[in-house]
Amino acid sequence: MATRWNRREFLQRSAALAAIGGSAATLLAACGSSSSTGSGAVNELIGTPAKPVTLPIASDNSAIKDGLKPETGTLTVLNYADYVAPDVIKAFEQQFNVSVQITTFDSDSELIEKLRTGALKGDVLMSAAYNSFYKLIAAKILRPLNHSYLPNITNLLPTFQDPFYDRGSRYTVPYTVYGVGLDYRTDKVPAADLDAKGWGIVWDTSYKGYVSVLNDYREALSLALLRKGITDVNTTDAALIAQAGKDLQELTSTNNVKVTIEGYKDVPEGTSYIAEGYSGDMVNGQYNLPQGTDVGVLGFWRPKDGKFLVNNDCMCILRSSSKPALSHAFLNYFLDVENAATNFATNGYQPPLTALSADELIKRELVPTSLSSTVLSGDDIANGLRLLGLPADAEKLWTDAYSKFYSGD
Amino acid sequence: MATRGREEARGTGFWGFFVAPGTLWLLALFIVPFYAVICVAFGREDPIFSVRNPEWNPLRWDTAPMSEVLRRVFNGDFGTVFIRTFAYVGITLALCFLIGYPVAYYAARHAGRRRGLVLMALVLPFWISYLMRMLAWANLLQPDGYVNRILYWLHIIDAPRNWLTGNSTTVIFGLVYGYIPFFILPLYAALERLDGRLLEAARDLGASPRSAFFRITWPLSRQGALGAAVITALPMFGDYYTNGYLSGGSPRTSMVGNQIQYYLTSTNHPETGAALVLVLSVLLVFLMGYYLISTARLQREVVYR
Repeated sequence: MATRWNRREFLQRSAALAAIGGSAATLLAACGSSSSTGSGAVNELIGTPAKPVTLPIASDNSAIKDGLKPETGTLTVLNYADYVAPDVIKAFEQQFNVSVQITTFDSDSELIEKLRTGALKGDVLMSAAYNSFYKLIAAKILRPLNHSYLPNITNLLPTFQDPFYDRGSRYTVPYTVYGVGLDYRTDKVPAADLDAKGWGIVWDTSYKGYVSVLNDYREALSLALLRKGITDVNTTDAALIAQAGKDLQELTSTNNVKVTIEGYKDVPEGTSYIAEGYSGDMVNGQYNLPQGTDVGVLGFWRPKDGKFLVNNDCMCILRSSSKPALSHAFLNYFLDVENAATNFATNGYQPPLTALSADELIKRELVPTSLSSTVLSGDDIANGLRLLGLPADAEKLWTDAYSKFYSGD
Repeated sequence: MATRGREEARGTGFWGFFVAPGTLWLLALFIVPFYAVICVAFGREDPIFSVRNPEWNPLRWDTAPMSEVLRRVFNGDFGTVFIRTFAYVGITLALCFLIGYPVAYYAARHAGRRRGLVLMALVLPFWISYLMRMLAWANLLQPDGYVNRILYWLHIIDAPRNWLTGNSTTVIFGLVYGYIPFFILPLYAALERLDGRLLEAARDLGASPRSAFFRITWPLSRQGALGAAVITALPMFGDYYTNGYLSGGSPRTSMVGNQIQYYLTSTNHPETGAALVLVLSVLLVFLMGYYLISTARLQREVVYR
């Protein structure tokens, strides 16, 4: 399992292949027609923790009737590569006597573009980002859910019974949840030092050359904001964004920072001591340890005040699906505690179910004790910081501030 | 020479027909994607999805993103990364030449019976994916890897070096290692078809081996060296994975390719990435133009001399 790829890594790798193979991806993306419908009302589809949203249901797009039998045949599931356990899929196929075909996509923007233009079709969308699927609602691509087919929805953490981005779970149920913290080596970085310096430890020059930030403009700049105690990770303040960019540039000059999503590999291998990383990846960090190294050398730090980024992916059903009842059965299947636990064993990204707490996952030996902080509780998720869609102007400021840092200017 | 000229003249119409499908294929695979890149770079903003859609009608092109990119390249934060990229490519080409020319020369003129073996050794790296080879080096260059151990054992360094983070030497080394076969093979082909009788004639007329090399071999292989440089340089300008694999994606060693990848795959501003592709292409067209002009000149010189 040491060579397992997570979905973001796949994204980078496939981008590399696309570049080697020419500009096919650009061409495909460019070939999509620009037939967008709707109006400025799209902003009203964006929910925030402060202003939760109830998504509209169009009269011509109702949920399916109660009591339908699951259809047979092939169910097409859209997902990132390696983001679901094959054995769980196989068990579903056997139980419902159907076959499941997984069609993969590489990035959220690619997914939305291809669904919008009809280049990608399927029944179930397994991993839509909570902060961008509203675009699919605007484009009328999703079908509302009928909860009578989803009895397992009660297994979800209370915070996901009525999520701010989709009140009443009208279109989505959460698939996975993860936080952004610091992967670190317990044998190189004293825990007391971490607690004392917090996010600022990434700027500590005693770890020069052995620190990394995530190669993602929102998450890297948020780290710089959080270090200064600024918790508005959706700020539109040009001065704050520019300062965060400068703080990252300082990391290059004083601390020779790496920019990578592979911290969960570098830290176990010892090429980094502190790496900004996703909790769902660090669960798998143990498989990247050199033989004979104790898993206790791996740690995942997040601040005690709970001010760190929390993220989740959602499952939904496509309006064009000819197998809506089977699709509901699929969603319900992954909300089952045992199925979710089996899926987690391969996937590493946490299913947000009440029964699968940190203690339970440790008891089941799915998470080592030293990495218990990779598992988020309902409170962690409810109090965590959420990256939300930004107005175009501010978003450009974020994009370019990161570019300036990333170019080594 | 006269016979060959007649053959060529007779062949053009008939054989030209066979070139057509390939030419059409190349046109379709070059012009269309390139036009797509232009349309992305000059696209218009979609107010609903807040991304720029490709604009296929040249009359509706929006030039604002391109002028912003030009400002950032020539008078802004992209300047550093462009200079760094040109420096890396320049140094890599010089090293490729210093290492590659003697190898190609040896393989073409002195390898004798071992020529097959040498050629095989040159082609062998192509059997393994570039990424695999980079990952292998990443292992060797780790803090406790073999490179550090050997250098320490030889007393060249007194403590393990961090080769894999923000180290220009490592990135240039990776570029040389990765691209040198592309440099040697065309150069070998040029040296190999050099008419040995010209050298014999030079020696007969009293030239020393040194002067025969500089007056015959070098002028006749210059075109091959230039071609090899172009073939190596063009993909290198778009390289972004070497920095990722051998330098931890460090901003200290990032190249233009990293910026293009960032804007195209990780942001809502593919137009900036596409504009960077075009700026880089225009700069490369100048290099390519120099190659074509000097090739034509060399050919004239060789024919009329």
